[in-house]
Amino acid sequence: MRYRTLVLLWLLSDITLFMAVFCLAYFLRVGWIFSSDFPFGNFLTAVVTVAPVWLLVLATTRTFSLTRSQATMRNAAYITYSALVGVALFTLVYYFRYEQFFSRMLLIMAFVFSAAGIWLWHIAYSVLLRRILRRDPAAFPTLVIGVTRESARLIRKLNESSHPLKPVAILDGKGSKESEVEGVPVRGKLNKLEEIMESERITHLIQCSDLEQSLNLLSACRQRGCTYLLLPSVLGIVERDERIDTLEGQPVTIVSPKEHWWTWFFR
Amino acid sequence: MHAFILAGGFATRLWPLTEKRAKPLLPLAGKPIISHLVEQIPKEIPITVSTNAALREGFEQWHATLQRPNVSIVIEDAAHDDHKLGALGAVATWVTQQNFAEDLLLLTGDNYCGFSMDSFLKETSPDTALLAAYDIGNLEAAKAFGTVIVGKDGRTIEAFEEKPREPKTTLVSTGCSYLPASAIPILCAYAANHPDNVGGIFEELLSKGKPVAAYIFEEPWFDIGSFDAYLEATKALVGEKALLHATAQMEETEVHGTVVAGENVTIRKSVLENVVLFDGCTVEDCVLTDCILDVHCSLKGIDLTGKMLRSGTILTQN
Repeated sequence: MRYRTLVLLWLLSDITLFMAVFCLAYFLRVGWIFSSDFPFGNFLTAVVTVAPVWLLVLATTRTFSLTRSQATMRNAAYITYSALVGVALFTLVYYFRYEQFFSRMLLIMAFVFSAAGIWLWHIAYSVLLRRILRRDPAAFPTLVIGVTRESARLIRKLNESSHPLKPVAILDGKGSKESEVEGVPVRGKLNKLEEIMESERITHLIQCSDLEQSLNLLSACRQRGCTYLLLPSVLGIVERDERIDTLEGQPVTIVSPKEHWWTWFFR
Repeated sequence: MHAFILAGGFATRLWPLTEKRAKPLLPLAGKPIISHLVEQIPKEIPITVSTNAALREGFEQWHATLQRPNVSIVIEDAAHDDHKLGALGAVATWVTQQNFAEDLLLLTGDNYCGFSMDSFLKETSPDTALLAAYDIGNLEAAKAFGTVIVGKDGRTIEAFEEKPREPKTTLVSTGCSYLPASAIPILCAYAANHPDNVGGIFEELLSKGKPVAAYIFEEPWFDIGSFDAYLEATKALVGEKALLHATAQMEETEVHGTVVAGENVTIRKSVLENVVLFDGCTVEDCVLTDCILDVHCSLKGIDLTGKMLRSGTILTQN
């Protein structure tokens, strides 16, 4: 509920910000007046028409997803791409509706403001969102499977970045001498899976070892409606250039040889 | 004499089959492992099965199905692996609570012993502890058990080593032993400091100069502690055939090795090799090799090798 409310507020704030930066571009370009040559009412109607479509385009980039880190170049690229689509849609809508051309500089300003403004807002909002979601009781209590260096690294990263997925317990298939990893308690072996999932109200499970139990962990997650995540290192994939794709519609994990950066587009 | 069966372990190595069920209650060739054991014990000997609070329900259900009146269940107050008394601790607690001072037939509930219990009991003698010993055939495997060195008479135990790093023999102690009434106080005293070391009691008896003898047998014996051991035991007991419950259905299916299917299992258009299907499983268009499926699993269009699936697992290939 907490997460849904925050996402709803995020969507509303985004659409408001999108319209606001377009208005800012209008006034910066036209001046702080309501021009009769380029009526503000017409401009605003076009912006209001385009804004929901732009938001939909932005949402398809999965920028609002729980696992997306906002302060990354990848995310900036998605937001920029959406801003470009927003400006293009606005141009089309305005021309089709009023059959008039207008300042090209306004379009450039609207594009720059919406791309930069939305990205910065997303970074700021995600900080707030993470803090609220992490407050006890955490919105997304996460169970980590496996006491390994990889799982310790992951827990450290999640905690340092205040990620919404908050590790609350660790289980290890073979048992571990460690009583905690990065402040997260090691609660025993997999025989405690059901008990921990119930008592900690686990919403996410991250498998960091015990490959042989993948099916059973997946099965437990399905039965409890939890989200299952798997570290590629469990499969021996440690190159960090793996990706999930499809082969004739069949999902596959692909690890390609490292070549020139531009081959990324064709691999 | 009284038989005491240890059945309180949490069996983490057999997870997820033991997620909601004690290891001795796992079906082996059509019935629970512990039922094989109980059937071996002469009817006049009362039996106590010791388990823990977390596994109580399963044992009570099993108990209700028994035709034998002199079987009782004692519940050790432990809901978790880290709270349990320890196997020997459980025996000592029960002995103390009952003021027990008779001969004791001590058995572990996850062992399958192929020898006749009557012949084992015939070998017992007053004031001499007796343990069933089996030649496991390789020193590496012996590291996981208590090893037994017998004297020239082939019976008197001269040394006992619990889980030695470098075994001197391949003759290992199994989960069946006899302790005379005179050994019970020693057991209680030893259990106070070593509550989890069942095998250690024989070392203790030997160190106190008490006689311990071995009953060496060649019949099948399985310590069912892992997936491989469970599958091996099933293969050995069932043989190369399909053992189907009366309500199980199998159509257009190729069977290799050993296949066991429980109540209301349905198998269609599949290839199965060394597979155990617990009650209520459905398998269609699958190729399964060396797999154990817990109750109510449903598989369609899946190929699996060497897997144990937890109860209620649904895998359907679209």
